Amino acid sequence: MRLHVDGWDPGYGTSFDGSGEGPASQSSAETVTDIELPESDWRPIPRRDDLRGPSTVLLVDGVRRIDAGVWVTGDDGVPHRGLAASYAAGVVRCDLERGVADVAGALVKRGLFTSSPTANDVLVGRVRYTAHQMGRDDQATLTGGVQAQLAALEADVSGAARVDNDLLVVDGPLKNRQHLPRAIGYVKTHRVEYLPASLTAVVTALKAQERTPVFHVGTNWQRYAWYLRLPTTSSAPWAGVVRIECAAELDKAEAVALADLSVVTLPRFASSSYKDPRAPQNLVPIAGLERRLRSMLGDGRLLYRTLVLAARTVIG
Amino acid sequence: MSERTELNHPVGRVLGTADATPLTFWVAVAADAYLQLDDVVVTGRELPDGTTVTIAGVVTAVRARHEGAQFDSDVFAIAEGTLPAQVQEAAEVTTTRVLPEVYVPPSPGAVVHRAEGEARDSALYFDRMQRKVPMGFGRDGAPVYLNADFLDGSRGAHVSISGISGVATKTSFATFLLYSVFRCGALGGAGESANSRALIFNVKGEDLLFLDHPNTRLDEDTIDAYNKLGLTAGPFPDVRVYAPPRAGDSSGTPDVSSRHAGVDSFYWTLAEFCENRLLPFVFADADDERQQYTMVVHAVTAHLARVAQPADSGVVIDGTRIGGYAELVDYLVNQLNDDATRGTWAGSAVGLGTVNAFARRLIGSKKDLARLIRGDLAVRRPHQINTAESAQVTVVDLHNLPDRAQRFVVGVTLKSEFERKEKAGTAKPLLFVVLDELNKYAPREGSSPIKEILLDIAERGRSLGVVLIGAQQTASEVERRIVSNSAIRVVGRLDPAEASRPEYGFLPPAQRQRALLAKPGTMFVGQPEIPVPLCVEFPFPSWATRPSEAGSPPNATLRSIVQASDPFVVVGASANGLEDDDIPF
Repeated sequence: MRLHVDGWDPGYGTSFDGSGEGPASQSSAETVTDIELPESDWRPIPRRDDLRGPSTVLLVDGVRRIDAGVWVTGDDGVPHRGLAASYAAGVVRCDLERGVADVAGALVKRGLFTSSPTANDVLVGRVRYTAHQMGRDDQATLTGGVQAQLAALEADVSGAARVDNDLLVVDGPLKNRQHLPRAIGYVKTHRVEYLPASLTAVVTALKAQERTPVFHVGTNWQRYAWYLRLPTTSSAPWAGVVRIECAAELDKAEAVALADLSVVTLPRFASSSYKDPRAPQNLVPIAGLERRLRSMLGDGRLLYRTLVLAARTVIG
Repeated sequence: MSERTELNHPVGRVLGTADATPLTFWVAVAADAYLQLDDVVVTGRELPDGTTVTIAGVVTAVRARHEGAQFDSDVFAIAEGTLPAQVQEAAEVTTTRVLPEVYVPPSPGAVVHRAEGEARDSALYFDRMQRKVPMGFGRDGAPVYLNADFLDGSRGAHVSISGISGVATKTSFATFLLYSVFRCGALGGAGESANSRALIFNVKGEDLLFLDHPNTRLDEDTIDAYNKLGLTAGPFPDVRVYAPPRAGDSSGTPDVSSRHAGVDSFYWTLAEFCENRLLPFVFADADDERQQYTMVVHAVTAHLARVAQPADSGVVIDGTRIGGYAELVDYLVNQLNDDATRGTWAGSAVGLGTVNAFARRLIGSKKDLARLIRGDLAVRRPHQINTAESAQVTVVDLHNLPDRAQRFVVGVTLKSEFERKEKAGTAKPLLFVVLDELNKYAPREGSSPIKEILLDIAERGRSLGVVLIGAQQTASEVERRIVSNSAIRVVGRLDPAEASRPEYGFLPPAQRQRALLAKPGTMFVGQPEIPVPLCVEFPFPSWATRPSEAGSPPNATLRSIVQASDPFVVVGASANGLEDDDIPF
C-alpha cells in the first residue's frame, strides 16, 4: 500500500456540522400527534414548577476533524480516495448539588477511511490511524463513515458514569442508544419538519421554557419527541427551539415525565449568544466538552505533518 | 548525581505551553501536590551523551487558573457545575543552580521534585559553604544559611538592611545575626569567636539595653527553633552597656530609665576633645558641610590641639583654666571676636561673616554636647568606649541624645575604633558595627566627617576586620558606595514607592511585590553566591528586647560598674593560678 497526502483542502479541520435554523423540508415520517394531547387541543405546555431537576446531568457529545485527504494506492496501482480523521467522544458529569462539572470519560480515536481493499493501519510514532474500509470513495460516503464511527464511540462512552436519578442528554438523535435508561436525545438543528403546518404554529408560538406536547415519530426507527424553546433574545420563529427525543419503548406516561423533566433541566444549560455563536442551543457543558475534546484530538497541523512524513516512508 | 539528589516527592512537570529557559521555567503542579513561593525544587535533563544536568531553583511565582474557561464569567458556570473545567496550578521557578554547568533548558514534561535534604543544600549552595551562619528558616521550615565568607571579609563583608520602621524588624534581625555569628562557630575556633567584638548603637528606645537579660517570653517552640539552627537559646553572654551622663548631673551617672545595673556612662574629657581633634564632629550636620566655615573649623581644631594643655580634668589654654564644654565654647567665641586673637585661631583670610557663622553654631552646640564633653569629672575614671577592652558586645545608648550629640558620638566612636583597628593592622578579631538610620549618618547627598568614616569602613573595613551592619528605612537615600559595598543585602517590609527603586534591583519582581507585605520576622536575604534572594523567617529573640520581657539580670551587671575586673574572680582563680606572694588584684 502506498499513501499520498493531498494538499490543503477547505474541509480540513472542519467538523462539517449542519447549520441554519428551522427545518428545510417536510418529513415523510409517520407522525402520531395525539399521544399527550389530542391534536385539536395542542398548545404550549409550560414548565412544571413543582418538579425538581435531577441533581446529576450527564451530557454526551463527540467531535471529529479531518486531518488530511489521502490517496491510497494498492498493489494493483489503482488509487482510492481516503480520509484521515480524528474523532473523540466524551461525557460531562454536571453534579449540580456539589457544583462540579467534570469530564467523566472521553475516548479519542483516529481512522483512515478509504475504499481501498488493501488499506491497513497507518502507524506514525505513537499515533495510529485505524483502517476502515468503505464501500465507495465519494466524499459523502467517507464522511458518513467517520460519522458512523463517531456515533459508535459516543454510544460507547454514554454508559459511563451513570448514577441513580441522573439524566443522560445525548447530543444528536438518540438512535442506537434507546436502551439506555433515563436518556434523551438533544437535536439542535431541524432538517425536516415532522409536524403538520397547523401544529407547527404551536412550535413557533412557544415561549421560553415551554414545550409542545409529546408526539411519536416513526422513520427507520421509532421514538417519542417534543419541541422545547430555550431562553433566547432572538424573536425569530425557530430561535432557541430544540427537539428532544426519547425511546419509543417507554410508555406514554414515562415519555411525558421525561418531557417535563427536560423543561426544568435543560434551560439552565443554555448558552448566551455573545459567548457562543450557536447559542442558545449549544449547551454550555457541551461547548466546554467540545473544547476539551478538540484539544484531545491533538494539533491538526502537527498530525498533517506527521502524515506527510509517514507517506514518504510508509507503510506499516 | 542521581544518588546525591534523593528525590521522592514529585510535585509536577515542566510545562510546555510557556517557554522553558535555563534560568526560569514554569512547572504545572500535579493535582495532589502544591508548591508555594520560596519552595526549592529540582528537575533533571538528560543530555545526548548520557550525562544528567540537574536544574534546581526556587519558586518565585505561583498561579492557578481554570482551564477550559474562555470568559471571565465562565467561572460562575463552572462553580454552578454546568461547565466542565479544570483548576490548574503552575509555578514559576527561577534557577539557582545548574549542575554540571551546562545551561540547557529543562524539557517540558520533565518531572519536578521538591528538593529536600542534600538536594536542597545543593540547590541553595549550602553544600559549598565551608562556614555557615544560620539566619533562620525558609518557608519550607528548613534552616537557611549565610556564607560566613561574605560576612567576615574573606570574600566580602558588610550587611545592608532596609525596611519600614516598626514592621521590618531590622534591628532584631541585625542582633539575631550577631547572636548567630558569635554562637555558631563559623568565625573559627572558640577563641576567635570569643575575641570578636560588636559595637551596637542604640538609637530608638531602650530596646537594645537588655541584650544580656534572658527573655521571659521564650517558649519551648522558640528554644526548639534555636536548636534546629544549631544554636542555644539564651541572652548574649557578654555585654557592656554605655549611656551618656545625665544632663545637668555633675556626678556623671548614666542617663537610662529602665536598666538600673550594669550601665557605664561614656564621655570625653576636654583634654581628649582638644588632643584628638574632635571639634569637626560637632559640625557633622548634613547642612554644615555646605557652609564656608569648615575652614574655620579645621583651623580652630588644629590650633586647639596645639595650645590646649591638660590640667587635672580640664584644660589650660594660654593660662586660662577651662573646666567645661560651655566654658570652652565661650572662650573660643571670645577669642574669635577679639580682633587681636582672631588671626591666630581662624587664619587671616577668613571673613568676619564666616567666623560669626562658626561662632553661632558652636554656641548652638553647647546645650547638646555639654554633658558629653566634660572637664569636671575625675581623670582616672573609665569613660571611653573601647570595644577591645570592653565586653564582646558593646551597646552605646544614643536614644536620649539630641541629633547633634548622636552624630558626635557615632562619629567619634567610629573614628577611634577604626583608627585602633588600623593601628592593629590585622583583620582578626573582627569588629561588627551595628548602626541604624544609616541614611542619617551617610546620606547620599553631601559629605560630613561621619560619612567619610563610614565610607572608609565600607571600602577598607573588609581588610581591616570592621564589618558594618547598617540598617535604614530607605537604601535609596544612603550613599551608593556604602550600599554597593555590602555583600549581604537584607530587605524587610518595604514602602511601595521605595521598592521600585534600583537599589532593590537584586529582588526579582515577585519578591519586590512580596516585600510590600512581608510580616515582621520575615526578611529577604540576598547573598552573592545565590542568584535569588532567600526568604528567611528568623526566630523570636531569646534575649529581652524591652524591660517588660527582661528576666533576672546576669551576675556581672551587679558588681561595681567602675571596677573593670571582678575581684572575686581573681581571688577564686588564685587558688591554683597565683603564687602566694602575688597580689591578687
